[in-house]
Amino acid sequence: MRTALDCSDGDLARAIGARDTAAETELYRRFAPRVRWYGLRHLRDEDAARDLVQQVMLLVIEKLRAGLVRDADQVASFILGVSRTIAMDVKRLERRRETIRDTFMVAEIAAAPSGHDALDADHLERCLARLAVRERMVVLLTFYGDKNAGEVGQELGVKEGNVRVIRHRAIERLRTCMTSGAGV
Amino acid sequence: MAACNDPIPETTLLDYWARDLNDAESERLEEHLFACGDCSERLNQLAAIGSGLTSLVRQGRLSGIVSRALLNRLQRDGVHVRMYSLLPGETVACAVFPGDDLVVTALRADFSGVDAVTLSVTGAAGTSIAQFDDVPLPGPGGEVFYVTPAAVVHEMPSTRLHLTLASAGGSSVELGRYVLEHSASEKSPG
Repeated sequence: MRTALDCSDGDLARAIGARDTAAETELYRRFAPRVRWYGLRHLRDEDAARDLVQQVMLLVIEKLRAGLVRDADQVASFILGVSRTIAMDVKRLERRRETIRDTFMVAEIAAAPSGHDALDADHLERCLARLAVRERMVVLLTFYGDKNAGEVGQELGVKEGNVRVIRHRAIERLRTCMTSGAGV
Repeated sequence: MAACNDPIPETTLLDYWARDLNDAESERLEEHLFACGDCSERLNQLAAIGSGLTSLVRQGRLSGIVSRALLNRLQRDGVHVRMYSLLPGETVACAVFPGDDLVVTALRADFSGVDAVTLSVTGAAGTSIAQFDDVPLPGPGGEVFYVTPAAVVHEMPSTRLHLTLASAGGSSVELGRYVLEHSASEKSPG
């Protein structure tokens, strides 16, 4: 018997139009993680990414239920479009908030607490400590400092191309360390 | 779900995440990623590493060498940094206080003509505590920022730490020696 899990994205979209709740659950399971990384990539904030997932998936499912998505087979593209629009609105709002915050608040009060962390933090800390100095600095400037290769290169006095090589090697080493249990 | 028949290379995923692709390249990639469960999952794993690192840093669980930009970002994020700045030959008394998250030692020296340095940290009787090789320097006026979680320093007994900076590479030249006189934190009774 064919279940929602076996369906193509297009089949799921059509099933949602026919009020199939299992299809809604499967669509959410499939696309919520994609909207989440999109949110993290563009908004750089765990809470904002989580909010984006809720807003996007709710709107997408409502549109599908109402039969307002023109081409069900292009539902992935539709979800991406909705994610882009909402993320842009969030960014615009955030810029306005930042202006107000910079005017009225000190940085320490404005700092947001850290969000959810899916990895074993102790293990990640040990794996990070095992990286070479340059590797550690590059991954921290990339992921925490939110800097691209050119900016990292400028900060460390290293060529942009070298930063990309170091970044790639560092991530490979972190991944290997995290999956192999090394550093434990 | 069908497996991806045109997987995105790992380097491209990293370039995308670090904003090293232009807008058109990013948008093309996003179209693929949204339609492809496999590649999307790989990007998710990368994002999880990023979130994990950010979370660690914000908790002050960071040790080793950091750059000026990273230090600025930490302070902007509300991480409480206690900073000690030293010139070559200087000795500074140091301690941690309630509320500190990180202790940063900023080491200055004349870095003219030096691209990278080695930092050695030794304790009483010359016991090696840490060594950081090939620390990059952005320019002659730079500083080396050595960071330790305040929680770690808090547990340390009173001790004298010797820090030595030397140019990295074949013919190593000493650039500076520094001393931190650490006073143990007072433990609360009980």
